[in-house]
Amino acid sequence: MEAKQKSEKFIVPIGPQHPALKEPGHFEFTVDGEIVTNATARLGFVHRGMEKGVEDRNWTQGLYLMERVCGICSHVHAMAYALGVEKLANIQAPPRAQAIRELVAELERIHSHLLWLGVAAHEGGFDTLFMFSWRDRETVMDLLETITGNRVNYSANVLGGVKIDINDAQKDALRRGMDFLEERTKHYLKVVTEDETFLGRTRKIGVMTFEEATLLGAIGPTGRASGVQRDVRVDSPYAGYPDFPVNIVTSDAGDLEARFVVRIKELYESYRLVREIVDHLPGGDLTVKVPRRIPEGEVISRVEAPRGELFYFMKSNGTDKPERIKVRTPSLCNWGSVLTTAIGHKLADMPMILAGIDPCFSCNDRLVMINGKKTETQVWDWEDLRQYGIEYYK
Amino acid sequence: MNITFPSLIALLLFPGGLFLLGSGLFFEYLDRKLVARFQNRIGPRWFQPLADFIKLLAKEEVIPAGTIKSLFILLPIFALAAALTAALSVPLFGFKPVFSYNGDLIVTLYLLSMMTLCIGLAGANTEDRFSIVGATRALTQLFSYEAPFLLAMLGPAIALGTWNISLINQGATQQSLWFIVSQPIGFLAALIGLMGKLELPPFDAPEAETEIVAGALTEYSGRGFGLFKIGRDIELVVGLTLIASFYLGGFSTPLDFLWKVFVLLLITAALQSLFARLRIDQTVGLWWRIGAILVLCQLVLIIVGNTLSPFIAPLLGG
Repeated sequence: MEAKQKSEKFIVPIGPQHPALKEPGHFEFTVDGEIVTNATARLGFVHRGMEKGVEDRNWTQGLYLMERVCGICSHVHAMAYALGVEKLANIQAPPRAQAIRELVAELERIHSHLLWLGVAAHEGGFDTLFMFSWRDRETVMDLLETITGNRVNYSANVLGGVKIDINDAQKDALRRGMDFLEERTKHYLKVVTEDETFLGRTRKIGVMTFEEATLLGAIGPTGRASGVQRDVRVDSPYAGYPDFPVNIVTSDAGDLEARFVVRIKELYESYRLVREIVDHLPGGDLTVKVPRRIPEGEVISRVEAPRGELFYFMKSNGTDKPERIKVRTPSLCNWGSVLTTAIGHKLADMPMILAGIDPCFSCNDRLVMINGKKTETQVWDWEDLRQYGIEYYK
Repeated sequence: MNITFPSLIALLLFPGGLFLLGSGLFFEYLDRKLVARFQNRIGPRWFQPLADFIKLLAKEEVIPAGTIKSLFILLPIFALAAALTAALSVPLFGFKPVFSYNGDLIVTLYLLSMMTLCIGLAGANTEDRFSIVGATRALTQLFSYEAPFLLAMLGPAIALGTWNISLINQGATQQSLWFIVSQPIGFLAALIGLMGKLELPPFDAPEAETEIVAGALTEYSGRGFGLFKIGRDIELVVGLTLIASFYLGGFSTPLDFLWKVFVLLLITAALQSLFARLRIDQTVGLWWRIGAILVLCQLVLIIVGNTLSPFIAPLLGG
């Protein structure tokens, strides 16, 4: 057995079922003792054919499908879709609706970042921080439920506006919630930057320099922790962001600690924004009418999801159904940074480096069919793909 | 308490055997409950460890391919037997130990290490990568805490001039100053060493679930896993009893035993919830760069103090 092991590389597989990852992804770390010498990733366990599925639905139904791309950042998907459709139809949602969109987006960012803080702490074996941050996250979940009626898929958007309004009681609840969370977040920032054992796991671990980050195309808080000044909310403000601007949070350290600090400081930004929107919510209507048939054209809609830039390409052929929707989610852009920074680190650091980009798996998977003969064309409809999927996973 | 039980009862029922198993489960419950409360969770109900144990015993035991079958089955039994044997020379619940002889301290400490050795061997026995990494880590950790832990336990023994646990316990009761005051480094090293021995957080790198699933025991299911688990519970009881009797002024009544051990359990539970998991290299570094040197210094001081004690009156409690 020993001879066999010497000649073979010692590979530690993580996933698709593994206690560290609650979502399916497969990683293979080649280790030399405890040091990782190579890392590969395999995705594609939860392909759901949503891009294709939305082509079979009309524009309104597509909104509800796209909201379900991700369970954590559902609102930004719906928002990116709605903004894109509105741009295609050449209409603008009223200012009040845009502000409420931003409000829900920031609440969602708060919930996502707190969730990540807990998960990342758990990966580092710091379960106390995990339990505490998830307990406090309930505050923002309850707020989202108070406002929208849902905890996960808020369904706040409709094409041409939002379907929810904020009343005074909700405003007060939001203010109270933000005060509580700000107090707690101060404590977490202190823990993350001062706790010795935790710093031993994060400081100078998984360092990604500015050059590497730009080369690998790291986006979102992962990139911003390496000094990449990129945030769609700042670069090309959408929804309510022109009226309620956000300050970009960056760090130059590029290590895991910086990723913690950047995300926690973004929480402060979100608290400030929520308070500002609640205090200066513009009046007026919540929706404008959107035609059933969307004029022909192509559009790119970009929003800043909690994990980074979310990119929608949308094409309309003038009917009531989209011709093509292409979604590029932020996690996909950050995988390269994980696989590169992993090399040279210890196996024990892998879960934290993996979690450092705040990975989200189910939105990553795409199907690419390669047609060998260039002359033939192949047409697959929804039912074919469904059948193919059933056969593939059998 | 100087009650002597007939040896069969002492071995099988009380204070060893069945009662020891029960208290091991109860200690596990207390530990889990305390950690849960510190983490703002509700925690398990009182019978949860027992229910887990019964469930594990009833489950099918899967023996993976590529293992030495007899070793796979025997190791958990051996580990549990070692833990139970270790309890024989310890003044459990404040009663006189069943078997007491000169030098039983060393035998007990080595029986306590048996568990980790068995776990390491169990991990190396399977072909599973997680198990092998876990086994390597478990043994690496053993080499890091074992020497400081041993030295820490020897502190009171050398100060009192006997290597008999029972006599050390008696001696500690008669001390005017508890050893926790006169040998604080030894107390800390012993307590933290015990946490390392039991692979409790933050020293749970050998079974870090987010990296290597369940470490060396990944392939164990059913009975084997249950026996390892209860063996570890018994080690918790024995270890805490040892530390309490050495450093917290010993005990002669069950009541004395209870409050001292529960205070120790409270401290370990707090330590478990305070820190992030240490990487294995951090654990080794902590023990050899800080722990071992401090404990060695203290041991030298004790020996010097012992030699000089006729001249300088009670220094270091010696």
